[in-house]
Amino acid sequence: MKKQNAEKKYLPEMPQKEIDELNNSIRVSSEKIMADNIARMKKTDAKRPAAMQYFDEIANFFGQREKEIQAEKAKGKKVIGYFCIFAPIELILAADAIPVRVNSGWYDSAKLGDRIVPVEVCPVIRSTIGAKMIGLSPYLELSDAVISTLTCDGMTKLSEILSDAKPVWTMTPPRVKDSAQSLQLWKEEIKAIKTQIEKLTGNKITAKKLKAAIESMQKASKAFRRLQDLRKGNPVIMGRDAMLANQVAMYDNIERWTQKIEALCDELEKRRDQKAWACSPDTPRVVVTGTPMFWPDNWKLPTLVEEATPQGLLVGDELCSSDRILYDPVGIDEWTMDDMINGIAERYLMASTCPCFTSKDGNEDRVNWLITKVKETKASGVIYYVIRGCMLYAMEYARVKRALDKLNIPVYYLDTDYTREDVGQMKTRIEAFLEMLAARVDF
Amino acid sequence: MGIQTVKIVILKDGAVAARAKEFSGFEPTKAAEQAFAEALKTAQISKQEVSQVLATGSGMDMAPYSNGTVSMMGADAKAGVFLFPSARTIVDVGAEEAIAVKCDERGIMLDFVVNERCAAGAGTFIEAMARALEVKLEDMGPLSLKAERASPINASCVIFGESDVVSLIHRQESKPEIARAVFDSMADRVSSMIHRLGINPDIALVGGVAKDVGFIESLKRKLGITILVPEYPEYSGALGAALTAASRAKGGQK
Repeated sequence: MKKQNAEKKYLPEMPQKEIDELNNSIRVSSEKIMADNIARMKKTDAKRPAAMQYFDEIANFFGQREKEIQAEKAKGKKVIGYFCIFAPIELILAADAIPVRVNSGWYDSAKLGDRIVPVEVCPVIRSTIGAKMIGLSPYLELSDAVISTLTCDGMTKLSEILSDAKPVWTMTPPRVKDSAQSLQLWKEEIKAIKTQIEKLTGNKITAKKLKAAIESMQKASKAFRRLQDLRKGNPVIMGRDAMLANQVAMYDNIERWTQKIEALCDELEKRRDQKAWACSPDTPRVVVTGTPMFWPDNWKLPTLVEEATPQGLLVGDELCSSDRILYDPVGIDEWTMDDMINGIAERYLMASTCPCFTSKDGNEDRVNWLITKVKETKASGVIYYVIRGCMLYAMEYARVKRALDKLNIPVYYLDTDYTREDVGQMKTRIEAFLEMLAARVDF
Repeated sequence: MGIQTVKIVILKDGAVAARAKEFSGFEPTKAAEQAFAEALKTAQISKQEVSQVLATGSGMDMAPYSNGTVSMMGADAKAGVFLFPSARTIVDVGAEEAIAVKCDERGIMLDFVVNERCAAGAGTFIEAMARALEVKLEDMGPLSLKAERASPINASCVIFGESDVVSLIHRQESKPEIARAVFDSMADRVSSMIHRLGINPDIALVGGVAKDVGFIESLKRKLGITILVPEYPEYSGALGAALTAASRAKGGQK
């Protein structure tokens, strides 16, 4: 790989000593936080599925999975990082490379990002910048290139900032999803990324390899959907556990992950048959929508909901960091190269409910997806979660609320930041909302 | 268990038997114990006769003797409808927080909003501004009523609000006008919270700030409708908790 231009446009020169100290201190506290989160998840569900053990291990950013990827890299494999879930995973797999999502969930590194961009900027962006400054994220560090889809203003400038340190391949999504030229543009973007991936890896993406990759992802989607379906009935798994299992898919070996999810589902079915519920079946059921939440630090909303008095249960979400990750498989008519590329382009564009889109009827897809989710999971309320600086989700709230009001589905707007200081206030609000839902359930 | 004061309400046969309050200070639990003892004395009953104790407010987890908790929003809805059966929106402005709750005729909350992590819409703001104007807190309201016109301040938080007030002082605005500006800016924030729920009359105003005539007048002007204010607005949270305790004691979970 060619070296990047020596002169940096954004990232500051930091003394190695400072980098090492910061990296070490955040990493140590992060290890504690991960262990603490998992301990609390175990405490919440006394009979937590044994199959969760695997996901707990993979979720450790500084553990088994990092070492595996290092070993594969040593054998010559390339690692391709990505931000939004628009990156065509099938193409990465078909080129025998390893896809890893690299959005940062670390609160402490957001403070470092403040040295470069103002605090008004979305904390996911600031935290990712901070993580890069001190080499905190193992997957970002291991990435040979990063695919960045320019879904919002933050992502657009983040791509520029990161290109100081890594090759960044941008993809421009059209802002209007349902026009003929949109799909055309997006298809070209997909083809361009395919060329980039082939160039980096030196592996040609053949029809045979692409078919195998698509089939492997279809199997993953099937397992993924099986898990989400099991969450629709009486509680066999806490929402936090399901969210963690979902999120791990973004950096695990996908075939192994699929097997482990199937094993988890087998266990959950047994649990269902034995009526050994994860919590009382009367627990108010909540769906979350809004800004993505990333492990390990930004786990406060699911934690607060499921540890609240009265307790709540997350039965599903409309988050690109959880229930949306693998929901849609690529649909193929004929296994020709052209058809497969079309199928991939359509799956990543049309199935997305990202608020970066608009259309003649506004972002109707998102509203419909959410309402379907609420109905399928028999949720009694929705928490609309926004981190400050996330303009698109914040602005779309009014419309979503109106649609939910019409169906008499309570929704609560909760805004927060990458900080631990507001946990008390969030708790008050979440508990009031759950109390309200509980009162409705009883009547 | 408020941020500034602890309030106790004892109910007997569905009516208020006693009220008591105490500054929270550094030891809210102790303050609550004191207020509790005082309320028992007024009600002329013993602690053993109290069948159920519920706590609410930001310090509810520190409450002594309590059998459980209920959220401020839930308590306000109960108390508001108990005090004014026609009320469907209860607005609670306390020392550090402003809440608006929409509820049904049973006092069950249907929706709520909370001010956004900032005291500019709450009681502490009046206190800070009174300090800047060098007037007593309780004089702020009556003072503001003497204002002939409104001078706008655009306060987004207490700190900025104070500097806005200072610039009004430098422009030699009169004290009544500045006092009114303070209440107007608070009423702006609170009324936009109410608008987010949708105007749903009748509106009842409770919480410590509901004792301030200046704020009540400003809020009435902003909303253009009448506002119901009870006699002891600062006790509404405690009253709501007591009402919830009473129905839980009867066996229901409500």
